[in-house]
Amino acid sequence: MTRFVQPALSRANTWRRRWELNPRPGFCRPLPGPLGYAAGAARSAAEEWRLPGPSGPASPEVPAGHPPSIGAVTPAVQLLAVGAAAPAWRLAAAEVGAAWGRSASASQSAVCAPDEDVLTLAAEAASRALIASGLQTDIVDGLWWGTTRPPFAEGPSHAVLARALGLSHRSGGAMCSGSPHAGIEALLGAADAVGAGSARVALVVASDALIPGLGTPFEARSGAGAAALLLVSHGGHASLGPRVTRTHPYLDRYRGDGELATRDLYDGRLFREEIFLPTMRELGEQLGALEIDRWSLPDPDGRLGATIARQLGADSPASAPIYRALGDTGAAAALLGGIGALDTAGTVGVVAFGGGRATGVTFTAREPVRGAATVPDAIARGRAASYAEVLRARRQLVPSGETVQMGVPPESAQFVRGADEMLGLLGARCVDCGTINTPPSIHPHCISCGSAKFVLAPLARHGQVHTFVVNHTVPAPFVAPLPIAVIDLDDGARVMLQVTEHDAPLEIGAEVELVLRRYAHERGVPVYGYKARTIGPEGTT
Amino acid sequence: MSWNRVAVVGAGLIKFGELFEQSYEQMAAGAFAAAVEAVDKGFEPTQVEAAFVATQRGTLWGQEGIGGNTVPSAIGLAGIPCTRIENACPSGSDAFRVGAMAVASGVHDVVLVIGVEKMRDKSSEEGLLARAAAGHPIFTRGETAPVLFAPFATRHMHEFGTTREMLASVAVKNHYNGARDPYAHFQNELTIDDVLASAPVCYPLHLLDCCPQTDGAAATLLVRADLADRFTDHPVYVAGFGVATDHPYLHEKSSFVGLKATQLAAERAYAMAGLGPSDIDCAEVHDCFTITEILDIEDLGFVDKGKGGVASLAGETALTGRIPVNTSGGLLAKGHPIGATGVAQLTECWWQLRGEAGDRQIETHHGNALQHNVGGRGSGVSVINILTTNRS
Repeated sequence: MTRFVQPALSRANTWRRRWELNPRPGFCRPLPGPLGYAAGAARSAAEEWRLPGPSGPASPEVPAGHPPSIGAVTPAVQLLAVGAAAPAWRLAAAEVGAAWGRSASASQSAVCAPDEDVLTLAAEAASRALIASGLQTDIVDGLWWGTTRPPFAEGPSHAVLARALGLSHRSGGAMCSGSPHAGIEALLGAADAVGAGSARVALVVASDALIPGLGTPFEARSGAGAAALLLVSHGGHASLGPRVTRTHPYLDRYRGDGELATRDLYDGRLFREEIFLPTMRELGEQLGALEIDRWSLPDPDGRLGATIARQLGADSPASAPIYRALGDTGAAAALLGGIGALDTAGTVGVVAFGGGRATGVTFTAREPVRGAATVPDAIARGRAASYAEVLRARRQLVPSGETVQMGVPPESAQFVRGADEMLGLLGARCVDCGTINTPPSIHPHCISCGSAKFVLAPLARHGQVHTFVVNHTVPAPFVAPLPIAVIDLDDGARVMLQVTEHDAPLEIGAEVELVLRRYAHERGVPVYGYKARTIGPEGTT
Repeated sequence: MSWNRVAVVGAGLIKFGELFEQSYEQMAAGAFAAAVEAVDKGFEPTQVEAAFVATQRGTLWGQEGIGGNTVPSAIGLAGIPCTRIENACPSGSDAFRVGAMAVASGVHDVVLVIGVEKMRDKSSEEGLLARAAAGHPIFTRGETAPVLFAPFATRHMHEFGTTREMLASVAVKNHYNGARDPYAHFQNELTIDDVLASAPVCYPLHLLDCCPQTDGAAATLLVRADLADRFTDHPVYVAGFGVATDHPYLHEKSSFVGLKATQLAAERAYAMAGLGPSDIDCAEVHDCFTITEILDIEDLGFVDKGKGGVASLAGETALTGRIPVNTSGGLLAKGHPIGATGVAQLTECWWQLRGEAGDRQIETHHGNALQHNVGGRGSGVSVINILTTNRS
């Protein structure tokens, strides 16, 4: 193992040494042989691919005795807070098995209800991380978002999420997509920005809601979830440690151009023996030199996760409960497993796999990271959904005939005028009488006193039901029963919104919180806005 | 002192229903002929100097661009001035008000007010239900018509202990009346159990708490009051009217147990007519849903706020009750062809005041009848007309 370990270098020459070792950062040396390397093949340290080192200032928080570098290190990058989210539904594998005449395990997977998707999951996880951090959202310098399936195949996915989270119009960042490796790519992109000093506060979100091919073995394991991390240049309770990456242009799970569902592995044995296990072994050995206390490991088929855990001597990886609760959460899986393990001091090894790439990183927590202890609660709840409901929500079961077209095209001027009030949930507070008018764009004059003087302010996200209905008679693509409530928010504003699915009863006086949801999906374009969610006795979120 | 500058000398309608066999134009011609036929001393169609036509949703039969010029041609009077009035569910009652003002202004001596609505040329999914996707991209999503009134039912039940049985009693009463109105869409009676057991549409409203989708047309002939005796010895006068608006979205309502537009319009109409709620013999009110009639009779001052459900269940609004309401069967049984609704309600008032309402004739003590509509996305507009036989 020691052959992979770089001698500890002084910070002054780390940067220069890396460039000497690999003058073309980003260039991956070709692997020997047609299918790469044999398991355990010896590699020289010089073959390691590295990114340029950090250029940011040294952080005083880096603990003494930090593990030696094996690959790029960004010691100035700290982890301030984390958050997690899971969708509303759980699908039992038995439901899927019954549909296809197969026996199934007792496992389950998390599935998005029709008004949820990767963006709403990302928003929920990110909100939790931001709340746990205690930071104001407008000081976030950038959003790095990784997901296999951006909600707009081509479009403003990143911008919509940034606006919904209340990030500054000047915030930057990047969108990583195309494979389940996208989540860790977002993390590394953010870490490099913080390490380089171009961002002081970076928000990382990994979210996914896989749509598996019908009848594939992968179908019953395809899950959904999100993990969010706030990276800072200083002040966190954990630091981001070394990373190591392997690439291999192998087509494992993929989605063809224009296809809705992800195709399963072509040859499970080929994948296991020739690609996955050798790569994992190699990453694991390198990271394993760092005295990892807990692991978050990929589990592509429900068995391989346990296999590599055994090989690494990790009996129960931190990722296992996430897979049990949510299934394979794709781009979110590695980070979801990792952040939950940061609730105690120690080093966590996080390994992500997908799209022909594998990356391992470590986090070293000096004390529990803010938000880490809430991860189990955040993913615990969910109501059992039938296979038919799931197929409908994933748009794999579509009613014949015409669906009702939205009266307002999402590209139209109304969405330009309404972006802040729909995504940012802004109200207009009357300067003269204090009444909050919503939405501002349709209220040039106050509904109470007629004044035209307003200040814009974010609405409260919590309130009580004043009255409600449950609409049973709605045309497709609406799904009945559709509850709609008039809500008095804590700041005195009154709004009328749809009520998203929750097990807490909807009644007059019920407490609700406002959550971002997908209202419609038309011409392939999602439309987002807020819905009310009843708060149960347990007080979720 | 009543206003009384305008008299109604003719009124009529066609049988309401799913009139798949009739075109918009044929319905208009039928209603006009019925109004002409009803004039006691005879009426030449060419005496109509101007027409006001109420059609609310041309979109429901693919004529988005329907304008005032469609109806004159259909009734054989192409060339006369004609203006389309659209003001949500009160379109018909507002066209009547505008027609009355046209006569009172002295510009015209004889005008036709006609309401025509094709509701059933398109399927429900493409028609009324499609409004679930209309309006503001977020704040109105899922708002089909029952969503505009069901929140009031939920709150009324919560605040006043109104029950679903009380709501149902409105449908039972109106279907009883409708079964005695040959022009009504539905000709059958109901029981409270029928209403309670009908399919849920929008909690807390069930199918029989809701009016049907109905095609129909109705017409009235208005003349200068001092010319009325040329047409009839039993004129009915326009005693007054009131119109009011409210904020257009539901979340802008300060109260969910009453409709402010109705309350304001009622104040204005009573003031103009010099009358109060106790002077009204009968009323045709907007009962698109059972809860709406309960709100109406409170907001119009017939019963105290909160007592509408109890009063309905007790029969106070029945044909033989203290204040008979919706003797025609109302929107619930007669139907709600939107533009035609107000004009048809006025026709019923005209019949009741002239003693021509057949099996459903009520006893008139004061000679005054009130007609009311309320509508718009958030019940943002109400129109009330009061008719009277008294020319003071």
